[in-house]
Amino acid sequence: MESGCGVVERTSWVPAGVDTGLPSAARLYDYLLGGGHNFAADRALAERFLLAQPNARAIARLNRAFLRRAVLHLIDRGVRQFLDLGSGIPTVGNVHEIARRSAPDARVVYVDFEDVAVAHSRLLLEDDPLATILQEDMTDPTAVLGAARGTGLLDFDRPIGLLMVGVFHFVPPEDDPAGVVAAYRDAVVPGSGLALSQFTSDLQPAEMAGIVEVMKRSMNPMYPRTHAEITDLFAGFDVVEPGVVPLPLWRPEEGAPDTDDPARAGIFAGVGLKK
Amino acid sequence: MAQPPARPRRRELAREWMTAVYPTAYVPLSPVEIERFLLDLVDVIADAVQAEPFTAAPIAEVGQRLVRNHFTGPETLQRTVEVLGRALLFTPELSDVPSLPEKVVAILGALSTGFATAMRLDAFDRQEEVKAALLAAKQRAERVLEVSEARFREVFTTSAFGIVVTDLDGVCVEANEALGEMVGVPFTELPGRRLVDLFHPADADALATRYHPTGVRRGERFREQRRLLRDDGEPVWVHLAVSLLHDADGAPAFHVTMVEDVSELHLLQKNLDHQLLHDSLTGLSNRQRFGSRLEAMHRKSHRGITLYHLDLDAFSVVNIGMGHAVGDRLLREVGRRLEVVVAGERALVARVAGDEFAIVVDNGPATPRVPEMVERINHALAEPMDCGTALSASIGVVDRPGADWDVDELLRAATATLHRAKAHGKRQWLPYDRHEDRRSRAWLARAARMPGALADAELEVEYRPVADFGSGRVHGRVARLRWDELGHGDCVELAEANGWSLVLGQWALREAAAAAAGWSAGVLHFVLSPMQSRDEDLVGTVMRVLDETALPGTGLRIHLDTRAMLAAGGDNAQVLRDNGIPIGLAGFNGGQAELSLLDELAADVVLLAPAAVRRLADRPGSLPHRAIGELVRSVREFGAAVCVPDLDTPALADWWREVGVDGAFGAFAGPAVPGYEL
Ligand SMILES: C[S@@+](CC[C@H](N)C(=O)[O-])C[C@H]1O[C@@H](n2cnc3c(N)ncnc32)[C@H](O)[C@@H]1O
Repeated sequence: MESGCGVVERTSWVPAGVDTGLPSAARLYDYLLGGGHNFAADRALAERFLLAQPNARAIARLNRAFLRRAVLHLIDRGVRQFLDLGSGIPTVGNVHEIARRSAPDARVVYVDFEDVAVAHSRLLLEDDPLATILQEDMTDPTAVLGAARGTGLLDFDRPIGLLMVGVFHFVPPEDDPAGVVAAYRDAVVPGSGLALSQFTSDLQPAEMAGIVEVMKRSMNPMYPRTHAEITDLFAGFDVVEPGVVPLPLWRPEEGAPDTDDPARAGIFAGVGLKK
Repeated sequence: MAQPPARPRRRELAREWMTAVYPTAYVPLSPVEIERFLLDLVDVIADAVQAEPFTAAPIAEVGQRLVRNHFTGPETLQRTVEVLGRALLFTPELSDVPSLPEKVVAILGALSTGFATAMRLDAFDRQEEVKAALLAAKQRAERVLEVSEARFREVFTTSAFGIVVTDLDGVCVEANEALGEMVGVPFTELPGRRLVDLFHPADADALATRYHPTGVRRGERFREQRRLLRDDGEPVWVHLAVSLLHDADGAPAFHVTMVEDVSELHLLQKNLDHQLLHDSLTGLSNRQRFGSRLEAMHRKSHRGITLYHLDLDAFSVVNIGMGHAVGDRLLREVGRRLEVVVAGERALVARVAGDEFAIVVDNGPATPRVPEMVERINHALAEPMDCGTALSASIGVVDRPGADWDVDELLRAATATLHRAKAHGKRQWLPYDRHEDRRSRAWLARAARMPGALADAELEVEYRPVADFGSGRVHGRVARLRWDELGHGDCVELAEANGWSLVLGQWALREAAAAAAGWSAGVLHFVLSPMQSRDEDLVGTVMRVLDETALPGTGLRIHLDTRAMLAAGGDNAQVLRDNGIPIGLAGFNGGQAELSLLDELAADVVLLAPAAVRRLADRPGSLPHRAIGELVRSVREFGAAVCVPDLDTPALADWWREVGVDGAFGAFAGPAVPGYEL
């Protein structure tokens, strides 16, 4: 119990809370997208993040837009179920909402390890029979896959869309990134998809170095990867056109204004289909 | 209904709109879907513009639909207003609509208000839903106690709204960080304090009764707008939503209060939503609320009311010189002092505009007479503020008006009287004078008629020759406005006073550029008013006009107002220059700051201030006369041409030629003529 919370017995609904002192990536991203689920510490982090990368709000928006296009693309390829790893705080355009607009029967299992993201997802999905949230660490595929099977929502004999959007830059090299992806890949049948996006130093090295520095003081330090390293994560998948590219260049939709400079998009993104 | 030829233009507009807002907010739709969605809204708007009789009512819905579909970025509304404002005024489909500019203004206003309101309700309702879900969870609690408590804790700590739980004695049991921030007290120190003590004394009593457990029945909530009192004594306007929570046996147990800081919201949506009743800066009533209270007091008064309308003298100097933060502090302090002045009276103080305040006093048997009250006000303001400044005000007074006056009449009379008082200098006050009022009223009525006159083509642009005194650097025509017997200066003054300056300026520039593109009369000089010079969209407007009229940038001299540039920074001038458009500084007096500005901007021309021109010509041989010779020489050596406006006689022109200026315009060089004669 935190100090100063007063009359304890009468407010028995108030147990120890989340740690609001250390800012988190989930809440930072929420703030950049204009959401309201963040603490002062997160907003302070966001301001430093914006100093290092002034284009950060646009990058968050572009990343979210990529998520949407990737989900719709996988639906076009016949995928009807998704495992969204590092799903974040629910905000505008969540995977189940997007998927259901074209495939009303789509099922989604969200995974995040952050308290606030999980709490809000739980609330949102409380009465939803076709979507749920698991609080797990995505770098522990055995635990995640076990829990995902436990939900009964996903049929592992049919294609599953693996979403690792805006999360892989939080996976440090010592956690064996290639092994993590491989474990998920081996659990799903051919025809399943992988959508992955992550920060890179290839595009704006100086800004990226600044971001890494800023994020050292959060719960989620960051590890940018080169184009080659990111492409290698798709081992065992056929990468669909146009390959691994800056966010706005991945299958832009008809009529999209070309106001976003790919060179400042900070993140590479791609989609692959399991061979 | 929709005319076929208009479709392509509406599509184009929807596309422009989409392009403008696309980068401002994440909307989970494809560009094509967004465009289609916006096209629907364009239809609503364009139909409303053309509907007879006209009403902006359907437009609020447009703002709401934008919010519902997540077009909610910080810049979304601003860009929307920009795109629509420009397009509606100049779209061919609407060019025949009578009083178009007024309708456009009404429409953009309705859209902004709808948007702002929807934003507020949206955020608030979402939070309330979450809270409701949590409280429901709490009631199922005992089984899954920990989970629901964790959830409550999440919302409690993460919410941008203040949340406070109080027991039935009104003592805080628990408050979140957001509430602590609002009242300026660490949230950990709030438990144990009485909630009503956090409120403004004027609100505390009323709230105490509202919080009574029998005051709110089971499942019921109440909402109100109240003032919290920050630790530093400053009021914060908040929206409250209070619900009563019952324990497992169904007995009342706690109140949960959600608190939304509406003053902060106000700042966010500064130029949009002025519908709230209170001024966020000072916590005083705003104009709207003042109006309704004034009406009630006037109606019920036995001994009659007295209305004071105050304008702080030279307040803009404080704002510019010491910064807005100091200015804001001063305004708050002024509000506080005025409240003290009338503390013993049945009275209301309001901030009705930037540096304008109004007071209404319901006269009682012991109420001081007007001169004494004015004396007290002046005295209160003359006491130096914490930054050392002492203030003064000009005051217009309407004393005991007849019972048949309505509110508009009262407010208008007070304002008109204030204007007259101000004309006498600082620290002046005047009582309302029916005779004087009639004259100035004609002027204001005229100002109010201007938008209509513009729409009905009663305003014209004329062109005066600019005489070249031999240097060959200045020549061409200068555009001037005319409205019946009113000349350029009057038109500009009216437009600046009624806020119509930007629209008028855009219109005149377009007219003039179109005329100049077709003539061989040389360069077009266009002199901007202060407001036009500061317009953030100025460069965009000029570039668009050049584009549409095919007038080359070098065929135009844009003269920006020197003082406006000093106050707002020379960005507009700089960017115009960078775009290859020669610029001038108008209203130039030659002061130190102005010379530095000239140096910094490297303006091509300097247009002397008309007042300076008149003053100098009066006294040949005097020191100013010699000084002007020096000034003209230095400016010309620096590389800028010097030009003189409004010279009436050939004698004056000769005098200036002697001084060595490059050129001049005015009646001496021939009459102003309409564009088609050139
Ligand atoms: C930037 S958000 C991305 C949200 C969403 N996928 C999107 O792209 O819009 C990254 C999320 O990944 C979560 N995350 C980071 N590392 C994780 C891990 N090892 N296991 C589970 N979640 C993780 C963070 O908590 C955060 O919510």
